[in-house]
Amino acid sequence: MEDVVNIQTMKMVLFSDIHANLPALEAFFGDLENREYDSIYCLGDLVGYNIWPNEVVKEIQKRKIPTIAGNYDFGIGRISDDCGCAYKTDIEKANGSVSISYTNSVMQPRERAYLRTLPAHIKVELQLNEDKLNVLLVHGSPRKINEYLFEDREEKSLKRIMEQADADIMCFGHTHKPYHRILDTGTDGNNHFRHAINIGSVGKPKDGNPMGAYVILTLNPNSSILNKDSIEVEFVRFHYDIEKAAKAVESSPLPNDYATSLREGH
Amino acid sequence: MKFPDELHYSIEHIWVKIDKDQVVLGITDFAQSELGEIVYVDLPNIGHHFDKDQVFGSIEALKTVSDLFMPASGKVIDVNSKLVQDPKLVNSNPYDEGWLVKIKMTQSDELSQLLSAEEYSKDLGI
Repeated sequence: MEDVVNIQTMKMVLFSDIHANLPALEAFFGDLENREYDSIYCLGDLVGYNIWPNEVVKEIQKRKIPTIAGNYDFGIGRISDDCGCAYKTDIEKANGSVSISYTNSVMQPRERAYLRTLPAHIKVELQLNEDKLNVLLVHGSPRKINEYLFEDREEKSLKRIMEQADADIMCFGHTHKPYHRILDTGTDGNNHFRHAINIGSVGKPKDGNPMGAYVILTLNPNSSILNKDSIEVEFVRFHYDIEKAAKAVESSPLPNDYATSLREGH
Repeated sequence: MKFPDELHYSIEHIWVKIDKDQVVLGITDFAQSELGEIVYVDLPNIGHHFDKDQVFGSIEALKTVSDLFMPASGKVIDVNSKLVQDPKLVNSNPYDEGWLVKIKMTQSDELSQLLSAEEYSKDLGI
């Protein structure tokens, strides 16, 4: 899936990892009502861990928001018992098993079918005054839907991943921990700044801040790979009714640990 | 978990198969299991020389990246090019198709510092 867009200025809203948290998604849309933006994309993981997977899918679907598949969407779309979450501890594995089983049990056919239609990547090629910029939207990484690109990923590795994917700006989620790293991959004295942007999570933040998170990416006609400051990344946080989501988890078959995670942001 | 008796092991979880002054290296079954699904293997160029304990590459798994430490000094004479297309061979077959590099040793006495299968297994506590 590839869009070619001619722009003067552009504000792109990027959000992901809602994980069936309807109060967080509604608060996110409420936050957007007071903002100017030109386009909006969802980077996947609509379902899992909370009680409203069908409602979240419906909200995204009815707004016709371009959306890519997250690993959880991929699994639930295919009625799999594996979300590709690479859990490490026995507790994580046991909780994860309850979550995917619960989500599969409540998912409605129409919403499940929608998850199966989602593409793996969206590439937006921007035509600017001095340059073109390739913005690549993925869930985990360009090569794996469920690869975790944490902030401490070695520079050499991030550069290789972006070069191989021909991405000047790579936006992704999956870890639920937002960051922006600028990497110079230029040679022979010429700069080529690439931007790796983790957009955080709307419905299950894990960076210690329980508020929902998303990103507004701003480009102007002179944005360029030569100027690292010509691309603006704003990390937005918004309040939502965390208690409503946490109590809903506690009243459901889902593990209570997930309620604690919502309240504490981990 | 398998640790073949005919191999030697470093505490950095590299197995070593010795054939005169040439050795084949890979990561152990324990290492691949701890890493989880491997998505990329970053290997050195042929001809590059490494001292013992130097980092000679890295393995990128879904959730983590791990450096590879050279168990003995030597020059790289071959790398497993199959891993470019299929890095999961290291998961499925760490002691055979999932080998990493072959080196020509320059300090053969360093091999005496490696562990036997039994010692390595005991070191892991399994």
